[in-house]
Amino acid sequence: MQATLSALLAKATVEFPRLKSRADFEAAKARYVGPHGEFTVLMKQMGTVAKEQRPALGRLINEAKAQLQVQLDTALARIGEAEIAAQLGPAIDPTLPSPDTGPGTAHPLTLVREEMCRILRKAGFTVVEGPEVETEYYCFDALNTPAEHPARDAQDTFYFPGKARFGNLTKKTPEEKYLLRTHTSSVQIRTMLKGEPPIRIVSPGRVYRRDTSDATHSANFHQIECLYVDKNVTVRDLKALLDYIFAALLGKDTMTRFRPHYFGYTEPSFEVDLSAQHLPKVNKDWIEIGGCGMVDPAVFAGVGYDPDVWSGYAFGMGLERLAMLMYGIDDIRYFYQNDLRFLKQFA
Amino acid sequence: MKLSRNWLRQYVRLYSTTEELQRAITFLGFEVEGVRQIGLPPLESVVVGEIKTRVKHPDADKLSVCTVDVGPVAGGVRTIVCGAHNCEAGNRVPVALPGAVLPGGFTIKSSKIRGQQSDGMMCSPDELGLSGDHAGLLILDPAAPIGQPINETLPDGDTVFDIEVTPNRPDVLCHIGMARELAAWLKYDVRFPEIKFKGQLTGTPRPDILKGIRVDAPEDCPLYVGIAVSGVKVGPSPAWMQERLAAVGMRPINNLVDAGNFVMLELGQPLHVFDAKKITGRSLIVRRATDGEKLVTLDEKERTLNSRMLVIADEAKPLVIAGIMGGHDAGVDATTTDIVLEAAYFRPQSIRATSRRLGLTSDSAYRFERGVDPQSTLEAARRAIDLILAAAGGTVVGPVLQVGGERRWSRKINVTPDYIRAKLGFDVTDDEMRDALIGLHLPIKGEQETKAGLEWTVAIPSYRRDLGRPIDLVEEVLRIYGTDRVPAAVCTGPALADGDDDPIALFNRRATDYLVGQHFHEVVNYTLRAQPELATWVSAAATSELALANPFVDDQSHLRPTLILGILESLKLNQSRGVPASRLFETGRVFMELNGTVQECVAVGFVLCHNPKERAWLARPEPDFYAVKHHLEILAQMAGIDLAAQELVPVRGAYWGWQEGQSAAAGEMKDGWTVRFGLLNLGMVRAAGVEGKLWAGTLALLPQKLTTPAGHRRYQPFSLFPAALRDLALVVDAARPAAEVRAQLLAAARAATAGGAFTVESIEVFDVYTGVLPLGGTHADGRRGQRGLGENPTGHRGRWNDDDPGLSDCCGGLPVVRSLGEG
Repeated sequence: MQATLSALLAKATVEFPRLKSRADFEAAKARYVGPHGEFTVLMKQMGTVAKEQRPALGRLINEAKAQLQVQLDTALARIGEAEIAAQLGPAIDPTLPSPDTGPGTAHPLTLVREEMCRILRKAGFTVVEGPEVETEYYCFDALNTPAEHPARDAQDTFYFPGKARFGNLTKKTPEEKYLLRTHTSSVQIRTMLKGEPPIRIVSPGRVYRRDTSDATHSANFHQIECLYVDKNVTVRDLKALLDYIFAALLGKDTMTRFRPHYFGYTEPSFEVDLSAQHLPKVNKDWIEIGGCGMVDPAVFAGVGYDPDVWSGYAFGMGLERLAMLMYGIDDIRYFYQNDLRFLKQFA
Repeated sequence: MKLSRNWLRQYVRLYSTTEELQRAITFLGFEVEGVRQIGLPPLESVVVGEIKTRVKHPDADKLSVCTVDVGPVAGGVRTIVCGAHNCEAGNRVPVALPGAVLPGGFTIKSSKIRGQQSDGMMCSPDELGLSGDHAGLLILDPAAPIGQPINETLPDGDTVFDIEVTPNRPDVLCHIGMARELAAWLKYDVRFPEIKFKGQLTGTPRPDILKGIRVDAPEDCPLYVGIAVSGVKVGPSPAWMQERLAAVGMRPINNLVDAGNFVMLELGQPLHVFDAKKITGRSLIVRRATDGEKLVTLDEKERTLNSRMLVIADEAKPLVIAGIMGGHDAGVDATTTDIVLEAAYFRPQSIRATSRRLGLTSDSAYRFERGVDPQSTLEAARRAIDLILAAAGGTVVGPVLQVGGERRWSRKINVTPDYIRAKLGFDVTDDEMRDALIGLHLPIKGEQETKAGLEWTVAIPSYRRDLGRPIDLVEEVLRIYGTDRVPAAVCTGPALADGDDDPIALFNRRATDYLVGQHFHEVVNYTLRAQPELATWVSAAATSELALANPFVDDQSHLRPTLILGILESLKLNQSRGVPASRLFETGRVFMELNGTVQECVAVGFVLCHNPKERAWLARPEPDFYAVKHHLEILAQMAGIDLAAQELVPVRGAYWGWQEGQSAAAGEMKDGWTVRFGLLNLGMVRAAGVEGKLWAGTLALLPQKLTTPAGHRRYQPFSLFPAALRDLALVVDAARPAAEVRAQLLAAARAATAGGAFTVESIEVFDVYTGVLPLGGTHADGRRGQRGLGENPTGHRGRWNDDDPGLSDCCGGLPVVRSLGEG
């Protein structure tokens, strides 16, 4: 019996280290310790052995079993390692470039817009969207722009023919014409007509002017406008907002100043200058960045707000202009050509 | 609008430097678009000097070393090195002393030139900002006093400011207007020109010069004034007037025309001078033109008029397009002896409409359409008569003929200083406000105590029609106080409860973030597209629905119904510049048809392609239909649309440039959204000049679709046990869509297992074989293409064996080729 065991172990010692695959291992394992395996058969012979021989034989079998188990474990571990090694393949060269394209980039206008919205969000302004096709009422009348105002002229504003029908756009009067909005201020009107003050909104969006395209003009461009309506809003509050916005956007040292100006929908009205010495490609002390003012009482009256109770300010500027200033871009058309060598510079 | 500093000085003291003056104009609310210096600018430390001696520079052939006497105040005799040929002893020349700043910002310093000390510079005309020679020194009058500042020796120069006047301030379209503003800023008085001619309104006209004036269209011409002058002598206007006009860019013509132009630029009232002998019948008629009536204007162009246009005519013909431009044959010329001076108030809208219609503008039209002050019409006419009589002689004959009248003007605004302070948000004293208003010629006519405190009654002059409400005076006070003095403050504001960003903004943000994360580059294209492009890519109907009434250029005439066209253009640009671009996207508005109307939609679109020029050392799979589908499913999900639950329809025929058999669509505008994706038509893409196989996807939705809040999600119970997988191979007609087979299988499986030991959780396609079956059979109906589908009904709570009687039920009558056993 002992000799048989030794022979079996010797055979295993030779056989197991030579096993190559897990399948071979399983087969070999079955030959030894499977239900009909050689070792199993030997163990089953225990019953036929005389009672007094059993302890000694049992010890022998246990020793053999332990040795066999070591052989099994060793072989399995070896095969497992070989499997992992086989999965790995040759060593990589970490310095080779990834063949995958990327990264993607958001457009610089999107980046500037989102940054402005984020800054304004902190001051309590939420984004409101409005239609780009508008009607004369929302774009002009409600903003205190008289019927004869040159801005309304077909020379400066894109209109649609009388037969045009826009489905998801409300008109104030049936006879007013559809047009492409010339400013995002129309969103202010829609917001005020829909809700009650206090209101604090920012409306970024695309606007249209019937104008020659050149380095500084584009048939469509983007504006971002803020409107705040509350009780006791003052010129000083407006200045505070602008100081905050531009310090947050361009750095703490950025200053703003007002110059008197004229807009139909604000009174008083101002143009806003930025101290610009730290901006790229600017060699002036001050540079114009946008327009603003206190909401004209006539605008409030038009949307049904009592001008004696409510006051507010509005501020608007061109996104392209802001992006051009921030990044030192000298041609507005680059925004619309989408050359990837341009787009990839801002992400 | 050009303003001359010397001209302004006639009405207001201007001691400020050019920079100070520019700043004043700017902060009064008028943007300075340009500043031009004419002649000698104000110069500090430039004086008259006399060259005493001249010797050749020891170390330079072309230089001389001179001693120059600049007078005792400036330090007596100095040594100056000079390169000019004419620095002969005895010449008196301008000398810039150290510290002087010459035009162009050149600062003079004492220095050594080739080893010789030089304490200043002798100047050429060019170096002083004067036109002309820079080869030699400016030789001054030998009598010019040594040491005298050069500005006192040479005639004054002028500074011309080109300013932008906002449409609310037509009163500043003249020198008096700006003088009033500057006087308020500088706190000086305005000196108005003295007018001698009184202008009698009564008397008998001289019928041989001007019989009378008739106004047939008083609604367009509420006031018309004519004054006849006899015996004028046409000639050049006086030098001072020519100088004024030339400074602001107006060509002097003769003493009559120039007088009219001068008054327009002085007081803002355009005037016209008729040659009396050219007025047929010696009567002026203000009337509407007849349709088709012709007039050759001063610029020698024939204008065709219509019945909405106002003309000044005689009994035979139109002479002038009212307020805009005179006729070529009606103006004054060298033979003119008798004239009629016109001063009128024309309705601004009428002038604007005619000017636009004719495409004809003029200084006169510009002022009339913005509104002149009818209260000063007569005054301007009287001022012009003074100037004409002085420059051209002659005598006024007959009375001032006036038709219509000035509407009475008395506007007052009541305002409390507290109101102004409340609007400003900072302290300005009552006195500062009062001074500002009075300085602007807005006199406080009354001060009264009211419940709201001290109140002022402020009188508004007729030329300030832009002022009508208390808020308007807030701006006036602030302008004079200084808008740059608004104090800083902390930005505050209570949070607003319903403050969330617009769903459109949220969607765009999420879509952008996703696509950027998927290596797409965002592009931005114009909304307006060309008509032929829409006809090719979309439909003939779209070209009529989406057309603008007044496009500016041909290739931007229509609203875009899809973002794909713009993205293609971006792709094309990059390809043409050799820039590899394979993934582009855009978000923005598109315009789509629904029930005969155009709907403005929120949209996202993208294109991805394999770029053969973009080489990589390790190959990656090329994009395909299902890559696009994956992106669109995620984008649709952001809009609350479960694309997997929607019916996807393969695109048939030529539909919006999608390739038949390689693309699909889901959703319709009536549901508020539509999705289209797949391969862009290869031929059309190539025709558009873009290379490659372009896979694209678009999602368009009505804004209100996004605005509708999605219902709250509810938790669904789920199994805590691992699922049992079952692989099935099914034979179906190749033409049957997979989704249909899957749906049939799922329905049958669910029915078969209803109430049973397990439920079918899901069925996934995991392999597709198309072709003749290896088992040799053809499909019963004889179609050649057959498709074996491996379907995987997943269940749990029980084992599922081949001999389970439920299995064939689960297959819903679909022929099972093989049951592949447990996966």
